[in-house]
Amino acid sequence: MAALPLREDDVGWYLYGVVANGADAPSAAPVDPRSEVVLLVEGPVGGIASRVSLEEFDEAVLPERLADAEWLEQKIRAHEQVLEEALARGAVVPCRFCTVYRDEEELRRFLAGRADALAAALARVEGRVELGVKAFAARAGRGGEAAQAQSGRAYLEARRREQQEREELARSRADVAARLHERLLAEAHDGVLLDLQSRDVSGRDAEMVFNGAYLVADRGRFDEALTAAERDVDGVELELTGPWPPYNFVPEELGRT
Amino acid sequence: MSPDRQALQHEVTLIELVDRVLNKGVVLSGDIMLSVAGVDLVYVGLRVLLASVATLEEQKQRAVEGAA
Repeated sequence: MAALPLREDDVGWYLYGVVANGADAPSAAPVDPRSEVVLLVEGPVGGIASRVSLEEFDEAVLPERLADAEWLEQKIRAHEQVLEEALARGAVVPCRFCTVYRDEEELRRFLAGRADALAAALARVEGRVELGVKAFAARAGRGGEAAQAQSGRAYLEARRREQQEREELARSRADVAARLHERLLAEAHDGVLLDLQSRDVSGRDAEMVFNGAYLVADRGRFDEALTAAERDVDGVELELTGPWPPYNFVPEELGRT
Repeated sequence: MSPDRQALQHEVTLIELVDRVLNKGVVLSGDIMLSVAGVDLVYVGLRVLLASVATLEEQKQRAVEGAA
């Protein structure tokens, strides 16, 4: 299938993100390898876009595609590669995965209609990148005392003790997260707390106690704050990811203006 | 970095990526579009990927244990 060229009656336009007018189109491979990434300029902004086959990206078939892990990973990585190249050159407002327009005219109409909001979103992230910071703590090893209790009373006491320990642990972890967030936020333009990932998802033995994203202009100062925070907050290991296109720092929704 | 550690790093980064690309970024509404991955689709996709990552981890674990 991949060898066949795109059919004119079967194409939509996939929008990766928006950059300032005057930026170059990324040369990274598009989500549909038969196409190429171009910049569609409308006023102050340009949409990074490429043509896609509707056999793959139409609403009707998309749920099926999304259930295919191999397809999904491939397309997600292509989406990210295009945006990372744009990010390396300047400010970019990333779009959510699978933003597809019926034709070029509709895409251009969208860009022209939201040009002001998009330009404002670009100005906000100009010269800044998103960094992800996660903190991991060793798992609490205790517990199970109650299950081994020899009498009803011992059982109840052990249960109560375990409950108290759990509450204390939760409090101390919430405290760690609040302290980390405060310190990192001081060296960032903005920051958000994200959902913690379970151990199944994080793929680590240690437990995630903190997950944040920061919009950062000065990498050096942020890295210093990170090193200092890791030193001062006991028992946590920090992990830094990025730089990312600012997924967490663009308006979640841009309706018609 | 050992190959195992590298593979793990790769998967971890994939999770980060999925989390961002599927859940964040501007959602454009109001125009007629063919497909904006709505919340439901996003979670379908995420579950699939997580399942595949978990499977990979299991396979790696078995490979490590098998080699030991």
